[in-house]
Amino acid sequence: MKKEKRSFLQNNVVQSLLASLICIVLGLFIGFIVLLFINPSGAVDAILTIIKNFMVFPNGNIALKYLGNTLVKTAPLLMCALSVLFSYKVGLFNIGAAGQYVIGAGVAVYAALAWQLPWWLCALLAMAAGAALGAVSGLLKSYFNVNEVISGIMLNWISLYSMNMLLVKVKEDTSPYTKQIAIHGKAALLPSLGLDKLFYNNKYVTIAVPLAVLIAVLVWVVLEKTKFGYELKATGMNKNAAKYSGMAEKRNIIVTLMIGGALAALGATMFYLSGYEQWATSQSSVPGMGFNGIAAAFLGGLNPIGTIFASFFIQHITEGGAYVDKTMYSSQISDLISSLIIYLCGFVLFMKHVMSKHAAKKGGKE
Amino acid sequence: MTLLLQYTLLYASVLILVALGGCFSERSGVINLGLEGIMVMGALGGALTMKYMAGLPGIVIVLTTILISALFGLIYSLLLAVACINFKADQTIVGTALNLLGTALATVIVKAVNTAANPDDVSSNVQYIAAKKSLIVNIGGFEFNWFMLLAFVLLITAYVLLYKTRFGLRLMACGEHPQAADSVGINVYKMRYAGVMISGVLGGLGGIVYITAGVSEWKFENGVAGFGFLALAVMIFGQWKPLRIALAALLFGMFRALSNVYSGFDFLTALNIPSTVYNMMPYIISLLVLTFTSKNSKAPKAEGIPYDKGQR
Amino acid sequence: MENPYAIEMLNITKVFPGIVANDDITLQLKKGEIHALLGENGAGKSTLMSVLFGLYQPEKGVIKKDGKEVKVNNPNDANELGIGMVHQHFKLVECFSVLDNIILGVEPCKHGFLQKNAARKKVLELSEKYGLQVNPDAIIEDITVGMQQRTEILKMLYRDNEILIFDEPTAVLTPQEIEELMKIMKNLVAEGKSILFISHKLNEIMSVADRCTVLRKGKYVGTVEIKDTTKEELSRMMVGRDVDFVVQKEEKTPGEVIFDVENLSVGSKTSKKDAVKNVSFRVRAGEIVCIAGIDGNGQTELVYGLTGLEPVKSGKIALCGKDITKASIRKRNTSGMSHIPEDRHKHGLVLDYTLEDNIVLQRYFEPEFTGKTGFLKRGNIRAYAERLIEQYDVRSGQGPVTLARSMSGGNQQKAIIAREIDKDPQLLVAVQPTRGLDVGAIEYIHRQLVAQRDAGRGVLLVSLELEEVLSVPDRILVMYEGEIVGELDPKTTTAEELGLYMSGAKREEK
Repeated sequence: MKKEKRSFLQNNVVQSLLASLICIVLGLFIGFIVLLFINPSGAVDAILTIIKNFMVFPNGNIALKYLGNTLVKTAPLLMCALSVLFSYKVGLFNIGAAGQYVIGAGVAVYAALAWQLPWWLCALLAMAAGAALGAVSGLLKSYFNVNEVISGIMLNWISLYSMNMLLVKVKEDTSPYTKQIAIHGKAALLPSLGLDKLFYNNKYVTIAVPLAVLIAVLVWVVLEKTKFGYELKATGMNKNAAKYSGMAEKRNIIVTLMIGGALAALGATMFYLSGYEQWATSQSSVPGMGFNGIAAAFLGGLNPIGTIFASFFIQHITEGGAYVDKTMYSSQISDLISSLIIYLCGFVLFMKHVMSKHAAKKGGKE
Repeated sequence: MTLLLQYTLLYASVLILVALGGCFSERSGVINLGLEGIMVMGALGGALTMKYMAGLPGIVIVLTTILISALFGLIYSLLLAVACINFKADQTIVGTALNLLGTALATVIVKAVNTAANPDDVSSNVQYIAAKKSLIVNIGGFEFNWFMLLAFVLLITAYVLLYKTRFGLRLMACGEHPQAADSVGINVYKMRYAGVMISGVLGGLGGIVYITAGVSEWKFENGVAGFGFLALAVMIFGQWKPLRIALAALLFGMFRALSNVYSGFDFLTALNIPSTVYNMMPYIISLLVLTFTSKNSKAPKAEGIPYDKGQR
Repeated sequence: MENPYAIEMLNITKVFPGIVANDDITLQLKKGEIHALLGENGAGKSTLMSVLFGLYQPEKGVIKKDGKEVKVNNPNDANELGIGMVHQHFKLVECFSVLDNIILGVEPCKHGFLQKNAARKKVLELSEKYGLQVNPDAIIEDITVGMQQRTEILKMLYRDNEILIFDEPTAVLTPQEIEELMKIMKNLVAEGKSILFISHKLNEIMSVADRCTVLRKGKYVGTVEIKDTTKEELSRMMVGRDVDFVVQKEEKTPGEVIFDVENLSVGSKTSKKDAVKNVSFRVRAGEIVCIAGIDGNGQTELVYGLTGLEPVKSGKIALCGKDITKASIRKRNTSGMSHIPEDRHKHGLVLDYTLEDNIVLQRYFEPEFTGKTGFLKRGNIRAYAERLIEQYDVRSGQGPVTLARSMSGGNQQKAIIAREIDKDPQLLVAVQPTRGLDVGAIEYIHRQLVAQRDAGRGVLLVSLELEEVLSVPDRILVMYEGEIVGELDPKTTTAEELGLYMSGAKREEK
C-alpha cells in the first residue's frame, strides 16, 4: 500500500495535474487579493463571478447559451494553445501564435467577404497564410539564429498592421468593423450541424468546437505515436543529438512552426467564421487569444489532452471576468489571473522537484 | 527637420535606456524578455505621479517621476529575479508572463483609479498634460526634454560601470562563466539579482520616457506596443556593448520618429504611403537587422541558463 | 612540537540520496610535500574536494588547518585558509584578459574603480619568480592551453595561497608540457607551498609525488610513501584487482581500403584559420587507426567534417569507394559509418528519452521500426532494445524504459556503443570513447574496438590518452595544429617520440 502511495506522487501525470491545480489556486488567490485591494466590499462576489462564468445566470437555458459562448471562444484558444505546445516540443517558444492568429483571421475574413468563398476554402487559405508566417520565424531561427520570441513579436505587430490595412477594404461604411459575415459572406459561415440546438439555439456553436477537440487528439497521436513526433521531441530535447542522428533539424524547426502557424490560423477561422465577432480595423493591440494560448498550453502541462481542459478553464475565467461589477472592477482582472497563471507555470519544474523529493523522503522513511 | 531630430532623440533615449537594461540583465546571465512589462509598470508609476503632482515646481515633478518610475520598474523586475534566479524557472515563460501581467495589472489599476474618481469613467487612460510641460525646455523650436539628458548620463554611467569598475567585471563574469565567478568567491545569485534589478530601473525609466514622448495621455490597455522587444533588437544589434547600443538606438529611434512626423516632409507625403506602413516600419527594420546580425552574435555565453551551485 | 600537516581532512563522510560518496575518508597533507590523490572516476575525489572547498557540508568528520579545527562553509572560507585549486576544466572567463581573470574576485580597487596597474606589476613579479610565462593582456580564448593553465596557477599565487590543489592537470598537456608542469610543481614546493595532486595517471604520480592517498568507490584504501611502492601496487589499490595494462590483440594484416580521406580542410568556428588543413589518410579493413594529439589541434573539427556535423571546405571523403564528401549525416549513417561521439551528453544521447528510444536513435526510420504510415512500431523497438541491452550488458534501473539521464556514465556509453556497433558498420569512428570511465568500462570498450577490427571493419579512434594511443591501435597519426604531422607504429614508438610530434617539435617531411 505504502509503496503505491509513494509512486503515486512520483507519477509524472499526477505531478503535472497537481502542479497545474496549484497554479490555478494560487492565481485565483492572488487575483482575489488584488480585488480586495481595489475594493474590499465586492471582492468575494467578483471572484465568485469569475469562477462561475455562465453559471451566474439562474435560468438553465440562458446559462446553457452562455456556456455555448464560452465554448465558441474555447475552440480558437485551444488551437492557439496547441500551436504553442507543438512548437514547444521542438524547443521553440511560439509567441508568434498571436500574429499567426491575426493573419488567419484577416485572410479568412477577407476571403469570405471579398471573394465569397466557402468556409472550408477560407480556412485552408488562412492556414496557408499562418503557415507561411510560421515559416518566416522558422527560417529566421534555423538559418539566421534569430530568437523566435523576438521575431515572433515583430511579426505579431507587422501582421496586425497589415491585416488592418487589408480588412479596411471589406469594412462597413460607417464603422471600423468588417461587414457581417452572416449577411455578406454566408457561404463562409461555419456549419453547425445542429450543435446550436444543444445550446439553446446559440447559433455561434459550430463544428469548430468538436473539430478543435479532435485536432487536439490528433496532435497527441502525432507527438506520441509517429516517427515525426519522435523526431520533433528529440530535436526539442537535444538538437545536437538530433543532428548527430541525421534528423533534418532545421527542416523540422521550420515544419513545426508552419504547423503551429496553421493551427493558430485555423483557430482564428473557427472564431471569426462563426460570426460571433467582427474585426475592428482600428485595433491597435494584438488580440490576446495567442497569448492566452501560452497560458493554456503550460497550464495543460504541455499535454494536448490536458490542454483541452486548460483552454476551457482559461476561457471560462476570461468570460467570467466580463460579468464582474464594472462600477468596481475591470474585466481585465481575468487577464491578470491568466497571466499570473503563466508566471506560476514557470515554477512547475520546481514544484515537481519538491514533490519528487517529498515522495522520496516519505518512501525512504517508511 | 527639428521635429524629426527631436523625436529621434526622444525615442533613441527610450531605446537606450531599455536596451541598456536588457544589456545589464543579460550580461549577468539572465535573459530579460519581460522588459515590455517592466516598461509598462514604470510608465504606470510615472504617469500617476505626473497626474497627481501637476502644479508643483517643475524640478520636483521631474525628479519624483524619475524616482517613482525607476522604483516601479525595480520592484516589478524582482518577480523575474525571484523566479529565474532562485527557482530556476524558464526565463522565456516568466518574461512572457511579466509582459502580459504588466499590461493587465496596469489596466486593472488605472481603471480602478479612474472609476474611484468618477464612477462613469471605465477607461484605462491616464492624463498628464499639465505635468508634461515641466519635462520640456524649448530651445528655439527644439523641445529639449530632460529625459534626453537622463539617457545620456545613464549611458555614460553604464559604460563606466561595466568596464571600469569591480562591479562590472564581476557582473560580466557571471554572464560568461558563472562557475568561474563562483570559484573565486563571487556570489553569482547576488550579481544576477543586481543585473536584473538594474534592468528593472532602466526599463521602468524607459517606460515613462516612451509614453510621454509623443502624447499627453496614455491608454494602458495597449501596453507599450512591442517597444520592449524593439529595445532587445537594439541590444542585439549593439552586441551587448553600451556605445554600440547607443548608435543602434539612434538608428531605430529615427525610424520610429518618422511615423510621428512623416507628414511634415513634403516628399514623404507625396509618396502617399498609408500611415500604417510607417507604424510597421520599426518592426520590419528590426526584423531585417536581426536577420543580418544574429548569426555571429556575441551574446554572453551563460545567458538563459539558470545557475545551480550544485552542478559544477 | 609543531604540527607537520598543512591541512587534514579526518574521517569525512558525505552521503547523497542513494549513495555514500565519501565513506570515512582521511587525507593528511604535509607541509611542503606533493601529495597525490589517486582514484578512478566516481571514487569520490571530487566530492572530497568539494567538501574541502565548502561546497558540500560533510555528515561526519572534521577539517584541520595547522592542527586546528576549521569550518569551511564556502569557497571564500577556503581561500582565507590559503587553499587554491586549478580545476580540471579551467575556470577562466574566455573573453577576459589573463590579468582580469587573475584578479577576478580579489580586484584591487579605489572607490569601486579597478586599479589594474598595481595588479599587473604583482602578476609579472610572480610569473618571474616561479617561471610562469604569461602575457597579462592576452585574451584567454586566444592563448594556448598551457598558458591558460599557468594563468590558473597564477590565480592561486596572486591570492598568496599556501595549499595548491591540481585537479587532473595533465589531461590537456603534451608530454613535454607535462614535464614542464612537474618542474613548476617541484619549484612551488621548494618555495614552501604544499601541493595536492589529483590524478589517475600512475606514471605521473610515481615521478612527482612524495606520498599518495588512494580512494576506491567512495572508501579510503590507504596512504603510501611513493618511494616504498610500485606502479602495480598503486593500480591494485585503485582498482581492487590486478589490472592488465596490455590490450590483447592478435596480429592481423589489414584488407582493402574502407575509408579514404584526401586533402581535407575544415573551417574553424573560433578563428579565421582552418581548423583542419589538407589532411589525407586511409583506414583499411581490419585495422585500428588512431588520431592522436593534444586537445584542440583540430581533431574535433576533423571528426565533424568526416561525420557531416560540419561542412568541409575542400577535399574528398570516400567510404567504401563511394564519395560522401557532401552526403548528409543520415546518408553517411546508413551507408556504413558509425560514430561514437566525443561528448555523449551533447551528441550521443537524448537524455530525457528512454533507453529504448536512444537505442533506436540511428535506426528508428527503418521499416522495422516505422510503418509505411509513419507510425512507430513500439513492439519492435522494445524487442530490439531488450536484445541489445542483454547482448551488451547495459545495466539500468528499469530496463528499456529507464530514462537515459538516470544511467551511469559507463552504461550510457555502453548503450551508445551497442547502438553503433549493432548497426553493422564498415567504419567505426570512435572519439575519446573511454573518457571519464572507470577501468572496467575502459577494458570493455577496448575489447569491443578490437573485436570490430577482428571482424574486418575499419576503426578510426581519436584519443587524447597516451596509454590508449600506445596500446589500442595498429597505426598512429599525430595531429598538430590541424595537420597530420607524423605516422607512427605503436609497437616501436615511445611516449617521448609521440610527445615531440604532438607538441609540434618534430614532423615528418612530406
